[in-house]
Amino acid sequence: MDVSTHSVRGDWNSLARNYDARLARGLALAGGKVIPSPQTTALMEAVIEPGDRICIEGNNQKHADFLSRALAEVDPAKVHGLHVVQSNIALAPHLDIFESGIARRLDFCYAGPQGLRLAQLVKAGKVEVGAIHTYLELYSRYFADLTPRVSLIAAEAADRDGNLYTGPNTEDTPAIVEATAFRSGVLIAQVNRIVDKVPRVDVPGDWVSFVVEAPKPHYIEPIFTRDPGAITDIQVLMAMMVIRGIYEKYGVTRLNHGIGFDTAAIELILPTYAEELGLRGKICRYMSVNPCPTLIPAIESGFIEAIHCAGSELGMERYVSERSDVFFIGRDGTMRSNRVFCQLAGHYADLFIGSTLQIDLEGNSSTATHARMTGFGGAPNFGSESRGRRHGSPAWLRAGQEAHRQGMPRGRKLVVQMVETFKEGLAPTFVERLDAWELMDTFDMPLPPVMVYGDDLTHIVTEEGIANLLLCDSLAERAQAIRGVAGYTEVGRKRDRQMVEKLRARGAILYPEDIGVDKRLASRDLLAARSIKDLVRWSEGLYAPPARFKNW
Amino acid sequence: MIPARHSFLEATARARVRGLLDAGSFREFCGPAQRRTSPHLPALGMPVAFDDGIVVGEGTIEGRPVLIAAQEGAFMGGAVGEVHGAKLTGLLERALDTRPDAVVLLLDSGGVRLHEANAGLIAMGEIQRAVFDARAAGIEVIAVIGGRNGCYGGTSIVARSCDRIIASEEGRLSVSGPEVIEAVEGIEEFDAQDRALVWRTMGAKHRRLTGEIDEIVADDIDAFRSAVAAVLGAPRPFDLDALEAEHARLAGRVARFKGAKDAREIWAALGVNDPDRVSDIEADEFNRLVAVLEGDRP
Repeated sequence: MDVSTHSVRGDWNSLARNYDARLARGLALAGGKVIPSPQTTALMEAVIEPGDRICIEGNNQKHADFLSRALAEVDPAKVHGLHVVQSNIALAPHLDIFESGIARRLDFCYAGPQGLRLAQLVKAGKVEVGAIHTYLELYSRYFADLTPRVSLIAAEAADRDGNLYTGPNTEDTPAIVEATAFRSGVLIAQVNRIVDKVPRVDVPGDWVSFVVEAPKPHYIEPIFTRDPGAITDIQVLMAMMVIRGIYEKYGVTRLNHGIGFDTAAIELILPTYAEELGLRGKICRYMSVNPCPTLIPAIESGFIEAIHCAGSELGMERYVSERSDVFFIGRDGTMRSNRVFCQLAGHYADLFIGSTLQIDLEGNSSTATHARMTGFGGAPNFGSESRGRRHGSPAWLRAGQEAHRQGMPRGRKLVVQMVETFKEGLAPTFVERLDAWELMDTFDMPLPPVMVYGDDLTHIVTEEGIANLLLCDSLAERAQAIRGVAGYTEVGRKRDRQMVEKLRARGAILYPEDIGVDKRLASRDLLAARSIKDLVRWSEGLYAPPARFKNW
Repeated sequence: MIPARHSFLEATARARVRGLLDAGSFREFCGPAQRRTSPHLPALGMPVAFDDGIVVGEGTIEGRPVLIAAQEGAFMGGAVGEVHGAKLTGLLERALDTRPDAVVLLLDSGGVRLHEANAGLIAMGEIQRAVFDARAAGIEVIAVIGGRNGCYGGTSIVARSCDRIIASEEGRLSVSGPEVIEAVEGIEEFDAQDRALVWRTMGAKHRRLTGEIDEIVADDIDAFRSAVAAVLGAPRPFDLDALEAEHARLAGRVARFKGAKDAREIWAALGVNDPDRVSDIEADEFNRLVAVLEGDRP
């Protein structure tokens, strides 16, 4: 066989040369790294090429909204057929570019409020969806087959050399920047202000191609603020069961909380209920979660010792800055967040707990609803068994003993869903068949969009009790354990009473009285803070809630 | 650590009554067992409440006899319908016979129940007349505001007809509600979603500073109880001189503040050094501020 020693191609630096050409076109127009905001669209026409892969930064909170609008105004004759690779489809211009043909293909994680319109555009053939990802998956593909040629990012401030300060909402910026800048991609940053010297350098200037001062600060949404005033007695009951039946039993110290009212109830009874049980220092010590205001009492009372955040939360900036023993703070005194590292920390924690809309008899859960294309976000990575984990911890080993009763001893991550048996409008949470199946057909997806798979799930907590799926030996037992906590839903009413009693004797079903939870104590009186104002009081005035959450 | 307390804001009407009265002293009139429900709501296909959203009865506060009413804000926003209004009017009329130390009205209402139209409006007039009859007979009527619905519409007029008003800072007092103002005058005039604006315009602290509310207490049932107990049996003058003095005060207030664009301008004009902080300070600090301001007044 004749093996050639010659390279298969003669040109090994085409991406870099292409970058140089783009930069030269941009500089010819802008004259320097800092461009005046009215020229933003013209700059994009100069540096973006048809068919480019492009990322418009935007996640739950921070959005490169000015750049997104500027992109929507480019001439489709010059810029078209883009392949959008970004985590969140949240703003109208994100989809406007598909309507006008500027963009064609889409790989994303989450669509939220634009889910309905996205679904319509997919049906109309305007959007070709590659795949819907979790955050970690999409970022991972940035470093494989989906590296952006151009990324539009958002930062708090920049200096004239392009050094960027992201402020507390660093979020996804490092992942996007790393992939783009080191594979000859163009980075355009919108900043709230140009300064002589940035408070700290979150992105070095020589990675950044162009900087524009946006006319208005980038959009940030306070999506992690839960008003304790809306927490119900039922949620307090479920929180008590979680603390006794799971946190105390396994000794859970490292964990991730979802962002609903259910988990907020847990946070708010740590200083009262868990304190009385003597659990301070024994549970909930390290968290991977955004700085949710409802965490303040648990921090102040010495429960939570350290928190790493995926992003920040409006109004929490000063409080976080003043608690540098707890949060990750830069030398400048403001927080640095990072979604990738927070997701990783949560993935390798002892426990994930969150809420969902539907659970089937295998324990598969989904937040998909009819007519919307919403996606996954971060929950599947937080809420899955970490099979690559090797280090031990009491909670992980204890759960492992239950999960692997024969053969090779192993650990097990706890993955918990905390749900009321009925949702708003008396829609049952427990169903024989997830709506996700229909959604798969509607949107021609390869699989039903399941948020947390049943075999990743270990516990379901409802107002009726706890199902411990680790102690179920067959799918039939698992189904009965789920029916056994499904209350008065159709699924719950079809339980086999004998099987349920058998499972209860084994500890695979636990009712409040089995774990020493006194239902009569389950009231809002247990909440360490009952209102947003109480959270301000706990923070000693450091938490400054946005106006929409005030009632004073 | 925030000390344990029993929130008035969160409590039901019945819990508020229990908390304000001496333990075991409450005797309810026309209670839910009698099922005096609205005759109008079923015609509209709407659910009724067995007490029509108001609890009325008698009891004692620190041993002193009172009549008490509490609107249930969770039923139709505490709105006043025919039965609801008749129960309140009847309670006030009873005061003329039993002569309690006070009639205490725990108001938590958006005003007239629009579904009952004229019946609700007539009820408002009857309630107000009954308040005046009681006061004319020398019986004190105390309004208490600290529920989620605030005190709006006709109920706000009833409140201002009473001897005095005790409120928590979560309480609101205004004739027109935020959404109504926004709908009529436009979002540029009043953004009903801006809760900080709503509270500094209609909230109890502002009403205290402008002289419409008499006392601010923390959101705590015991704090309300103490404040009510402290003023029992101390009716305000209810005669022509008092009315003319109030008219003169209100006319002076309009003249003094009519150019103000925001409540904070009024607070500054009243002598508050740091108007931006007023919304955030606690009830006790606020009351010290008010004491200083009033002491300074000529």
